[in-house]
Amino acid sequence: MTLKTVFRRARRGLREDLRLYLVAVSSLTVAFISLTGALVAVQNLELFAKRWGETGRLSIYLKDDASAQDVSQLRSAISALSEVADLQHLTSEAARQQFFQEAKVGAEFSELPLEVFPSSLEVVLVAGVSTKRVRRIASKVGQFHAVDSVETYLGWFDRIAGLVSAVRVLAAFLIVVVLLCVAAVVGNTIRLAIASRRGEIEVMKLCGATDNFVRGPFLMEGAIQGGLAALFAVLFLFAGYIFLHGEINEALHAFTGIRLVFVSVPTVIGILFAGVLLGGLGSFISLRRYLSC
Amino acid sequence: MIPSPVGSYLKHMSRPAGHVVRPFAFFRAGARAEARESEKPILVMEGVYKYFRPDVPTLRDVNLTVGRGEFVFVTGPSGAGKSTLLQLVYRAHSVEEGRILFCGRDVARLTEQSIPFLRRNLGIVFQDFKVVPHWTAFENCAVALEILDMPDRLIRARVSEALDRVGLAGRGEERTSNLSGGEQQRVAVARAIVTEPALILGDEPTGNLDPHLAIDILTLFEEINATGTTVLFATHDHSLLSKRSHRIISIDEGRIVESRRGLSGWSGVQSIAS
Repeated sequence: MTLKTVFRRARRGLREDLRLYLVAVSSLTVAFISLTGALVAVQNLELFAKRWGETGRLSIYLKDDASAQDVSQLRSAISALSEVADLQHLTSEAARQQFFQEAKVGAEFSELPLEVFPSSLEVVLVAGVSTKRVRRIASKVGQFHAVDSVETYLGWFDRIAGLVSAVRVLAAFLIVVVLLCVAAVVGNTIRLAIASRRGEIEVMKLCGATDNFVRGPFLMEGAIQGGLAALFAVLFLFAGYIFLHGEINEALHAFTGIRLVFVSVPTVIGILFAGVLLGGLGSFISLRRYLSC
Repeated sequence: MIPSPVGSYLKHMSRPAGHVVRPFAFFRAGARAEARESEKPILVMEGVYKYFRPDVPTLRDVNLTVGRGEFVFVTGPSGAGKSTLLQLVYRAHSVEEGRILFCGRDVARLTEQSIPFLRRNLGIVFQDFKVVPHWTAFENCAVALEILDMPDRLIRARVSEALDRVGLAGRGEERTSNLSGGEQQRVAVARAIVTEPALILGDEPTGNLDPHLAIDILTLFEEINATGTTVLFATHDHSLLSKRSHRIISIDEGRIVESRRGLSGWSGVQSIAS
């Protein structure tokens, strides 16, 4: 039995039970959308966490009444640290301008008072500084008279890292759910197809068809269902990504420093392959149970 | 194991160039490969018993020999065991006692995996046609050749030839559900002969047809038989038996009660009719 024959017979089967397969593929598509959506979320959150974790930045907010001498003394102390790669003094006016430039917010924010944007020393650390060391520097700097507060951004990093772990667990759970869902939906669809094509199967067996000849098209039909569902899910999410990409990407970049990304090409190929494999597997299990050849 | 037509085909294809062979020569209708081989009976039943209930045998001590190229009617009242006899040949059931030799091989001892290869050498026609209604006439016939993994070009030619032989030339693309009962049975016959089997089993193939169509189908079987194919034709319709002079095997209560040629002066007519 050639692959061409199997494919031709599977195509005939899909055509005969078209409604049944459409329902099955749409159910499977929803399952794959959940899975792929979770993978997209994991990927973006990981990127976000990485971005914040690697930032190695300190924002040292200065008191409003800090004198020029105090600030100068503070700058000298910070510059002396070997971990510091760059140090810039950002005045209230400069901070305000930078915010409006990057956030691209509407005119309603233009009246915000200058006090909302405190002056700060923006410190960029060299790569590879441990979070422990960053916290220590922040603690020491915070003792200076001119310093109001120090933002290490590590709190955010910790929260994002926790969120990434949670979403990873969710994605793993979704993988199991999708696996069971695909096996159940494909299995039931194939079972119904076997029932509706009982006559065909009998004719084939009477003509001398082997079990593999009978099973081949059903396996192919299961694999096609799984593959199509995975493809539709990826296309649906990609369309959503393209739509959101234009809408929120700039604002997201301004606030978080990252841009929304879609799952990588190897991941897409993996999802499609998983769809085909799971569909075939669901069909195989169903055939073993319900096709007494 | 019964050799498959494909195996037979490949074996013959490997012969030296210039040696003209036909595909499926071993089982080809009317093949005369070896004189000694052709003299052997195609089907032999020896002391066959079949039980569906432990105390009541459906077939008891059936002994039967069918020669190559023969046309044999199997008759008897409903429930006599005609269908069971045929089902044992294509291994829908297996015998409890005795043996059934098809082309010299005991079908009762075939493994489950070998049964498809046995059936590839048989053509089976049923009372209820067993055609797939949503397939075309072509697809219904072609399935028997697809199973043999034949190339598409050859399938097209062979199916076209088979449909032509049963009087359905040019109607291959029609859905079988749109055909009449007689035409559907012709499609079933075409499917049975398209692989050019050694033996055709007719399990009351005229049972669902009116008398006129029944004669048509019987004539079709006889035409196939005329090319050398052995036919085992089960029927309880004595009007068919009376019109022909083929050998008649009469079964009653699972036992072969008579084997004779033609119906003239046969006492069994009454019992069958009743």
